[in-house]
Amino acid sequence: MLTKLAFTGIKSRLRDYIVLLFGLMMSSGIFYMFESLATNRAFIKANARQITGANFIFLFGAILLTIITLVYVFYANSFLMSMRRHDYGLFMMLGAKQSKIGQLILIETSVIGTIASLIGTFVGWGLTATLAPFLMSRMIGTKLHHFSALYWPAVWITILLYIVLFLIAGAINRLVLTKTPVLKLLKGDSQPNRPRLKPVSQLLQVIIGLGLLAMGYYAMSHIQTFVLSAIPIGLVTIVLGTYLLFNAVFVWLIIIIKRSNWSNRGLRNFTLSQLSFRIRNYTKILSIVSILVALSLGAITVGIGLQRQVTALSTASNAYTMAIKNPSAETLHEINQLKLATQVTYQQKETKQVIYYRANQIKQHPVQFTGFGPLINSTKRNRLAEPKYRPMTRSQLSKHPEKLMVLQPKAPQKTPRLVSDDAFKKIPVKTQRLMLFRVNNLQADKAGLKRVVASLGNPPVTTIPGSYNVFILGTVLFGGLEFMGFFLGIAFLAMLASCLMFKILSGAASDKGRYEMLNKIGARPAALRSSIAREILVLFVLPAIVGVIHVFFGLQMFKVLMLNPYYQIWLPFTIFFVLYMIYYIITVQLYEHIVLPKLKIDQ
Amino acid sequence: MKTTPIVSVRDLHKTYGKTGEKQYEALKGISFDVNAGEFVGIMGASGSGKTTLLNILATLDQPTSGDVEINQQVLTDLKGNQIADFRAQQVGFIFQDFNLLENLTNFENIALPLSLQNVKGKLIHSKVAQVAQSLNIEAILDKYPTEISGGQKQRVAAARALISHPAILFGDEPTGALDSNSARDLLEMLTTVNQEQQVPVLLVTHDPFSASYCQRILFIKDGQIGQELEKGAQTRQQFYQAILDALGTFD
Repeated sequence: MLTKLAFTGIKSRLRDYIVLLFGLMMSSGIFYMFESLATNRAFIKANARQITGANFIFLFGAILLTIITLVYVFYANSFLMSMRRHDYGLFMMLGAKQSKIGQLILIETSVIGTIASLIGTFVGWGLTATLAPFLMSRMIGTKLHHFSALYWPAVWITILLYIVLFLIAGAINRLVLTKTPVLKLLKGDSQPNRPRLKPVSQLLQVIIGLGLLAMGYYAMSHIQTFVLSAIPIGLVTIVLGTYLLFNAVFVWLIIIIKRSNWSNRGLRNFTLSQLSFRIRNYTKILSIVSILVALSLGAITVGIGLQRQVTALSTASNAYTMAIKNPSAETLHEINQLKLATQVTYQQKETKQVIYYRANQIKQHPVQFTGFGPLINSTKRNRLAEPKYRPMTRSQLSKHPEKLMVLQPKAPQKTPRLVSDDAFKKIPVKTQRLMLFRVNNLQADKAGLKRVVASLGNPPVTTIPGSYNVFILGTVLFGGLEFMGFFLGIAFLAMLASCLMFKILSGAASDKGRYEMLNKIGARPAALRSSIAREILVLFVLPAIVGVIHVFFGLQMFKVLMLNPYYQIWLPFTIFFVLYMIYYIITVQLYEHIVLPKLKIDQ
Repeated sequence: MKTTPIVSVRDLHKTYGKTGEKQYEALKGISFDVNAGEFVGIMGASGSGKTTLLNILATLDQPTSGDVEINQQVLTDLKGNQIADFRAQQVGFIFQDFNLLENLTNFENIALPLSLQNVKGKLIHSKVAQVAQSLNIEAILDKYPTEISGGQKQRVAAARALISHPAILFGDEPTGALDSNSARDLLEMLTTVNQEQQVPVLLVTHDPFSASYCQRILFIKDGQIGQELEKGAQTRQQFYQAILDALGTFD
């Protein structure tokens, strides 16, 4: 009977349960996404050669994500409990036995957990199966080996972890509910919360927090001396430091703002009070979110940075994208589709040992070479240097005809030689054409270049002289890392935003009364909306700011891998914040839906 | 001298449920006036429709048909922000469960309607000080609602209702959650405010004791006004007795 009642309770709040289930599904789905990479040893081995101890890093990531998942499950669970306390309190008041109630809670929590983790793993598989090929084809342009969307060890780990977590959560719920007095269950908690300034302890927290952060940042920027221990040191000190800072600074900041005249207008004071009401029990989640922001943003930044680095290195490796001998009409057609920076065709004659060029032709259209300067711009330190292409004079080339060897397809052993037009005519072999061209942007013309190669009958790209083959080799070498960067970045982002969303939404039920009351005393609906939007914005922006600071220091770690991790950093930041803002808007919408009173009009 | 009434209700109907479905008529044609400076009570059993009536008067709900005018404004003409502004400027509301925001101090709670109208900080301070003095709650302004007693909370709520000098003060069972001493305090305070500031008060209650503070009482039964009782020259005790008698025959 009681079981039936309990399920009727669920039915009546089906929508909230769907939100809960959906969130949990996303979380287990994302966990699966991560595990499908992290547990796939073969994939990591094949694609992260450049990082020593990649397995080790992934192990840390997995532990971190497990802790975050734990936090997430507990927040989701408190959301569940906030929906159920009243019902269970009522059952107990009507004389239900505590053991029976305990049993019900345990069953409900574990059933929801099991369903969520099963569907979630399935969803995660689907996400991986769509996101991974998308990233591989659009972002990095190669296929990666040893990667499969359905990876069984990851499936088992995800399902097992979630069920265990939910059993623990169920047991805790049971303990909490059966130990709480019935009256409190029925009435809910409305404890006074008076934000106080405790200057000494807060100052201490600020100092210790800053100290810890400095330690963490130092360890990360000196990764060459600390090697792998930089990562655990960084994680622990930065997490703790962030928490202490949030705790000390923001409560203090809100009190200061509240005292100012600015707060007297409209609902500002109310919004600030809501925040100070919140910040206390939000410090933990905000510090976690800020770490996740850093990880996600960092991963995306490194992914994009590596991609750009491959492009930059290959552009600098040769003045021409490709050198093609005797291009067919089809090949010429494909080349004309590209956005070309320069294009030139030379005549040549090829004997067993020598390739002859017409000196006059080279004088008219000098061959360009890359100057080997520093790759980082010396004046503007935040930029990669633009590659410089310099033509060589005829006399220089005559002295060093071997320079032309880089342009010779399939025949590096033959010696290039410059001859006069007359001498060229007298050589008794057929005249050939060598076409050289350079595209403006390797990355942008990736697809077109692929078609050019296809028109040649798909030779291995390594046999085509020019920067394109360096580009392809680089992509193969760094592609795995880029992929991991993008993939993990998006997974972390989804996880952190869902975490934050849940924490905010689980407080919505208790806020409902406040907004109803504000409505009754004549607050305009627009004012209520803007108050909600501002409050949630602060909760989203605070961890983002701290996260961005973490990223700026954290990128120091990648100096061993990248020329300049900070180059054009606005791009990954923009991508990240657009996605983040979408989450913000969804959260505001859901929150408004829960708390904003509707005018009763039935006609 | 004939004055225009502050509240004027004409043939008010409210039906719940959509057409075609099972309908329930909560109000079946109610008409009455509240004049300036009056202290009017509305009594009725649970389910008689008095809460529906109050919600419509406070623009929290809309009537199916009929007209309501408060301070010469037709409520059904109000749209969007006008409704919210009307509530903030013209109506003071005291609820049974106080409805104070527990995350604001008492001062901030009282000041809220003024900040909603973007009144300047200095003016807010002087106005809150003034109303707090008249309700004798100056000492608890910096405390939070959870730190004071029920009677004090209701005084804070009354201060919030009065701060914007509303055209009318609505009370929805304001003594419902109070002990008898606090209830008496509150009713006496409302009487004083009513007499000194000439603010009309409309009190919805089912408690005869609270009702005995009114000058006139409307009895609602099944969505209609069944009976009207005037205090006239009676003492409060006599009026109390008359209400009890009326309730006896009314049911």
